[in-house]
Amino acid sequence: MIGGTGITKTFRQRGGVLGAREVPALRGVDFAIPKGGAVSFIGESGCGKTTLGRIIAGLETCDSGEIVIDDVAMSSLSHRGRQPYFRRVQLIHQDPYSALNPTRTIHQALAAPLALRARQTGRPRSWADERARELLGLVGLDPGYVLPRYPHQLSGGMRQRVVIARALTVDPEVLVADEAVSMIDVSLRLGILALLKDLRERLGVSVLFITHDVATARYIGTDGELYVIYRGQVVERGPVETVISAPVHPYTQALLSAIPVLHGLESPGEQRVVPVEASGEHPDGCLFAPRCPFRTERCERERPALGRDGDTPQEHACFHPERRSVVAVPVSRR
Amino acid sequence: MAPEQSPPGVRIRGLTVVYRTPAGELPAVSGVDLDLAPGTITGVVGESGSGKSTLALSLLNAVQPPGRIAAGSVEIDGLGDVVALGGEGLRRARGRHVGYVFQAAQNSLNPLKTVGKQVLDLGRSHGVENPRGLLADARDLLGRMGLDGARVLDSYQHELSGGMRQRVGIMLALVLNARLVVLDEPTTALDMITQATILRIVREVHAERGLTTLVITHDLGVVAEVADRLAVMYGGRVAEQGPTREVLAEPRHPYTRGLLGAIPRLVGDIGEAHALPGRPPTLADIPADGCVFRERCPLRMDVCETGRPPVVVSVSRSAACHAVRDDDGGRPAVAAATGEEQA
Repeated sequence: MIGGTGITKTFRQRGGVLGAREVPALRGVDFAIPKGGAVSFIGESGCGKTTLGRIIAGLETCDSGEIVIDDVAMSSLSHRGRQPYFRRVQLIHQDPYSALNPTRTIHQALAAPLALRARQTGRPRSWADERARELLGLVGLDPGYVLPRYPHQLSGGMRQRVVIARALTVDPEVLVADEAVSMIDVSLRLGILALLKDLRERLGVSVLFITHDVATARYIGTDGELYVIYRGQVVERGPVETVISAPVHPYTQALLSAIPVLHGLESPGEQRVVPVEASGEHPDGCLFAPRCPFRTERCERERPALGRDGDTPQEHACFHPERRSVVAVPVSRR
Repeated sequence: MAPEQSPPGVRIRGLTVVYRTPAGELPAVSGVDLDLAPGTITGVVGESGSGKSTLALSLLNAVQPPGRIAAGSVEIDGLGDVVALGGEGLRRARGRHVGYVFQAAQNSLNPLKTVGKQVLDLGRSHGVENPRGLLADARDLLGRMGLDGARVLDSYQHELSGGMRQRVGIMLALVLNARLVVLDEPTTALDMITQATILRIVREVHAERGLTTLVITHDLGVVAEVADRLAVMYGGRVAEQGPTREVLAEPRHPYTRGLLGAIPRLVGDIGEAHALPGRPPTLADIPADGCVFRERCPLRMDVCETGRPPVVVSVSRSAACHAVRDDDGGRPAVAAATGEEQA
């Protein structure tokens, strides 16, 4: 179990004559990743989802707030003391091409972390070779084919599987997959998503899935939770199927409305939300208000907090939540 | 402002493009026939190695060594066969007749010059006599795409967002009044909402200026949103083509079916979606004989090993597959027989 409360992070951009500019990347985010669960962070580039993933993987520190891993607050530990905890969280990058050393065979790529693992756990060296084969089998690769090869001899999908196998060498509790399928050929993406789902079921590993493509989040597991992040704030959170089929925040609705409709197979949702093209923000108002077609005067004055109202299964940060049917529906066929 | 004459049509016949490799010359595009009807948007969809980008470059006769157009013709109305063009004639055609928005156009602007300067450079290299008029056209086009034209012209690349740069790319392709426009992966690396905006703009500008448009993409969704007609490429060949809605509603080629079934959707049973087995062929392992898709095909037969699939044509559609028969409306014979159909 890994969770966080009130996570904030501000990046300081060095400016010109006017000095530094502060860019808030995360504005007090709470999250919880249950053991064996699936959590997805959804949002556009720059919304803070990748920064949050890096903080959870221990690659970045937060300015304020607390990360708790297995009931231990990370702020109570030294930098060294945190290492064994953050090792339980493994990050899988978007780009399997740059994640593997091109001059090393897959065998070499897996042997190094496994040899270390063997030493740590007092196992014989032969265990490492055996384990490498086992892990490759687990991610759906043929060890005999893959082990002697170099990364460039494998397809993008195979490379991403190798990266996942390498992440598994340390027996992690959480896999953080940041846009893990966006560079994979379309016909192969579902295979990687199915693999992550399979690893959840077989190994009990949790998956934190970070993406701009809402539809892929369903394929990690329909029992998962979805966090919709806009400019560093979680604006809607709830069960993945609820947030997709009955979103209440206009930003979630805009994101879902933007997904291309497969005309001929589907017809567009009847209440698609198109955001206003605008920039800037109201200093105290709702972050989405400048682009929101439904904003009122209150939205420009006051910032709504994430919470629940009434009997909706999801939480939202909106003064005027309303269900809208924005998602394309399959055309009924005989 | 749009010129009066009708938009150009394009007829690609028997196009074969090969790349020289240590293993000999290998075809990236192999015997492709494709028509772009005047005034339509055609979408070419394919995965890596399908030959879609090479096909797009052939429209400008711009395939770079070690690649070369080995056979076939690309007839563009008002230009003739661009494969036979060369030198100055070809240079003039690019930009004037054929506008090209390159893959990752967001990053293809000159970082050292303002957008306005780049418009002027473009005008100079094409002998435009009225640079002020050209800038005014550029400003209007940007304005049409929802941007503050004057401000964008005064901006450097780094001052613009990805979506703004993509619109600048489209402006540069259109500002010399090209009527045939090629967009290579126009929305890759853009956010969902920005992608939707760009696709709407592509549709609107296409209609208003009376263009013939070719969109190259790996994303069936993009094609579904903008294209009148769709061509699915695999292993350097056109697997299937036809009116977009018809192809999506009733795909005939097993690859098109597989690709559609592999797209994560927002509704419906996720158990019905599956990745395709195997992987797309690379230049080095495209089979020389028979069907290029057979390794991954659920309908594979003996004949697929050796015979190049016939192009089965019915009305406005065609599919290149041994399993597709024209007598039953072009459905795969095997799938129709076993009743293996999506609900």
